[in-house]
Amino acid sequence: MAMVMPADELELLIAGYVLGDLSPEEAAQFEQVLAQHPEIATEVAQMQLALETTYAPAEVLPPPELRSRVLAAVPTPFIQSEPIPDLAQTRQRFSLRTVLELAAAAAILALGLNNYRLSQALQASQTETEKYAALTVQLQATQANSPASAKVVIDPNTLKGTIAVQNLPPLPPGKVYVLWTVLEPAAPFTTDDKDAILTQAFEVDDRGASQQDIIVPAAFRAKDFVTKVAVTMEDAAAPQKHVGAPIVAAPL
Amino acid sequence: MPSEPSGNLAPSLQNQTDAELIVALRAGQKAALGVLYDRHAGLVYGLAMKALGNAQEAEDLTQDIFVTLAKGSSYDPKRGTLRTFLAILTKSRAIDRLRSRSSNRQMLTRWQQGGQPDTTPNLPLEQAFQQEQSQEVQQALAQLSTEEQQILKLAYYDGLSQSEIAQQLALPLGTVKTRARRGLLKLRQTLTQITE
Repeated sequence: MAMVMPADELELLIAGYVLGDLSPEEAAQFEQVLAQHPEIATEVAQMQLALETTYAPAEVLPPPELRSRVLAAVPTPFIQSEPIPDLAQTRQRFSLRTVLELAAAAAILALGLNNYRLSQALQASQTETEKYAALTVQLQATQANSPASAKVVIDPNTLKGTIAVQNLPPLPPGKVYVLWTVLEPAAPFTTDDKDAILTQAFEVDDRGASQQDIIVPAAFRAKDFVTKVAVTMEDAAAPQKHVGAPIVAAPL
Repeated sequence: MPSEPSGNLAPSLQNQTDAELIVALRAGQKAALGVLYDRHAGLVYGLAMKALGNAQEAEDLTQDIFVTLAKGSSYDPKRGTLRTFLAILTKSRAIDRLRSRSSNRQMLTRWQQGGQPDTTPNLPLEQAFQQEQSQEVQQALAQLSTEEQQILKLAYYDGLSQSEIAQQLALPLGTVKTRARRGLLKLRQTLTQITE
């Protein structure tokens, strides 16, 4: 059903949305209009720009390293807690007594639910640990005449595994080998600009060999997202910069 | 493969609206936070720098804002834009930091001066958001009634809620809402040339 709304009324509704002060009824109305006329998004953006041009200072780009600090401060994978209710609104809506009564009721309910949740969680984790088949990946040298090779074994259920490498070139001082997990560009995981996740940094002995336990990204539980694993040589001080070319690699 | 950059992460997320990204973030997709950060960090950091005047504190505040967004904020995509929510949250947290800085300074001064109260006005708080408005913006603001200007400033610039503004100006809540919206609409109409 098309909604007919006078233009100025619509403009005022958009202004209310940009100011963030729509009532629940107006919010529902706006959502409906937006679904029917997605082009309104442009007008929302223009209105936002007018507001910011007038009242916000010029944008300033933060130092580039702040982005990784922010992302590192949020655990992976993370479960978001329930949205925090607006305190001012809560205060208006409930008296202290109502809040205390609700809290007491919630506490009683929570105690009852706790055992149920625990048993559910246990069941879920038991099911989960049996879900995925183990994965063995043979990585081949990217240079035709190189004897280098590696083998990665992964249990996606526990996200634990091992890497064993042979005949890698010796590491110059200040360098380190890095195992990368490379994902589909659209995969819903945080990757670097080469769609890769730093999985493990390691050194090799004088024969270019090494074997060690690794922890792999949760992306291995959605194997379609993982396109490749590869080993590169990186600066030991900043392996995350990911500037080296693959020495051994394997598609998945 | 790793030797060749393949552009930014998750192009499908890049094409999503803020509201869709918030839904993805709340479903546990951390990559959505990266996209939201790329879109809005400039606004948040710019406001934080202006308010706090110190790069280190502005970085901390910017981190605080985006971590809050990831861990669960009261933002409701049905009620308003994310940018306005972020701007108001940033200002409100910046003011908290300035107050705490100011009370620390007062305590220190009192301690140093043997109990003399610090009478220095909290200048950064007042000056923080005073910007050099362009002539176009000043002309656009001149089209608004004094009350409309005052309400918009209190709402967006000072981050007061509509009910706080109603109380402060002794106006009915409905009047505050209508005047804020009419004021913004006038700005939008007058600033058309520079925003389009």
